Amino acid sequence: MQITLSHFRLAGLAVSTGTDTRDYIKDGLAHGINLAHLERVAKTIGLKERKVASPGVTALDLCEDATRRLLAAMDIDVSTIDAIIFVTQTPDHSQPNNACLLHGRLGLAKSSIAFDLSLGCSGWVYGLHQAGLLCAHGGAGRVLLCSGDTLSRLTHPQDQSMDPLFGDAGSAAIVERTGTHTPWYFVLGSDGKLSTTIKVPAGGARLPASSETRVESKDSNGNVHHAENLMMDGAEVFNFSLREVPAAINTVIKNAQWNLAEVDALVLHQANKFIIENIATKCGLKSAHVPSNLVEKYGNQSSASIPAAMIDGLEEKLASRSQKIVGCGFGVGLSWAAFASEIGPVITCPIQPYPLK
Amino acid sequence: MSLTFESYLQALQKEVDVLVGVSPDAPLSGLPQWDSLAILLVMSHFEQTYKMTITGQEIRQCKTIRELIQLIPQS
Repeated sequence: MQITLSHFRLAGLAVSTGTDTRDYIKDGLAHGINLAHLERVAKTIGLKERKVASPGVTALDLCEDATRRLLAAMDIDVSTIDAIIFVTQTPDHSQPNNACLLHGRLGLAKSSIAFDLSLGCSGWVYGLHQAGLLCAHGGAGRVLLCSGDTLSRLTHPQDQSMDPLFGDAGSAAIVERTGTHTPWYFVLGSDGKLSTTIKVPAGGARLPASSETRVESKDSNGNVHHAENLMMDGAEVFNFSLREVPAAINTVIKNAQWNLAEVDALVLHQANKFIIENIATKCGLKSAHVPSNLVEKYGNQSSASIPAAMIDGLEEKLASRSQKIVGCGFGVGLSWAAFASEIGPVITCPIQPYPLK
Repeated sequence: MSLTFESYLQALQKEVDVLVGVSPDAPLSGLPQWDSLAILLVMSHFEQTYKMTITGQEIRQCKTIRELIQLIPQS
């Protein structure tokens, strides 16, 4: 789907991460993996450290912290928020949704609406598209867009092919209605035939969690997992990413009538350095700033990674002036969503762990 | 002008470190580091250099470097 929207802006961004630091090399050595292999993976994929949530801390808590810091920095009264959109696949409960829980915690007005979007790594851009629609056509003046997951809890600690990849984080963004026509170009898509490529098989209504779904199996490389763990076909995800993401990015740039050389920054979902560099090369975006090092600091932060990459890589530029930014999220579904717009100035809060030690 | 087998081999070994110094006909299954990361590196090399998409399965079915290079349509 392609759509051009206007009359809204991205006004603020904040991200809170887990507090506990995991070190890729140290953890790998503790699991009996040899140093040469760990260093080879670390260099190619871009793994170093990641931040995971402390016991009892959920994506809702991380997003609440990011929201409270952002509202304070922007001096926004909660009574002016007309809607909360919460993007997550690791909600506190199957019912009620995280957005209503956050609505209650923040004390929003009863006239404001609250709903979740069940999406992962593509989800922030889907949330932005929905927030933009609410502002442009849906009666909202100000929308709080939260996104985040605790994916580190879904991997088996003895699965060295999956466990070292993921961190935990929650983001908050403020999207506001404006009187200006600055356009936002979106391309969104799904490929449900590839739904098993990234999957948590058990724990939902189809296959409820039980002692049977926690029976462990070991693959030929010695990695342990069970049916309640996150599973991923890395080679298939790689091909999917290089097939769909550059095409979506080049379409939004074409629709915006920009030259490749005009693009100030390409902000991709921070899956890993290897995939980001492959996508950027295929897009032909050589001169644009392409943040690719978030994974080595935080791990794959799911739907919080694009806001984190914007804060980490573009904070100063975003604060001072408008930037031509292209972004794309891609992942579980499988689904993807790209945008291009002139963004800024944006108020940002530094990426910070929650709770602070 | 078509490239020689040797030039395909050199390009592949430049991108996929675990294949350096390995004979084109030696079994890949004997290499300790012929793993999922090595397969991703081959996929990335083929995609970026020859604009071709192959599946992980197709690479796993190759028993030698020579068979990998035979996947390239121009070779």
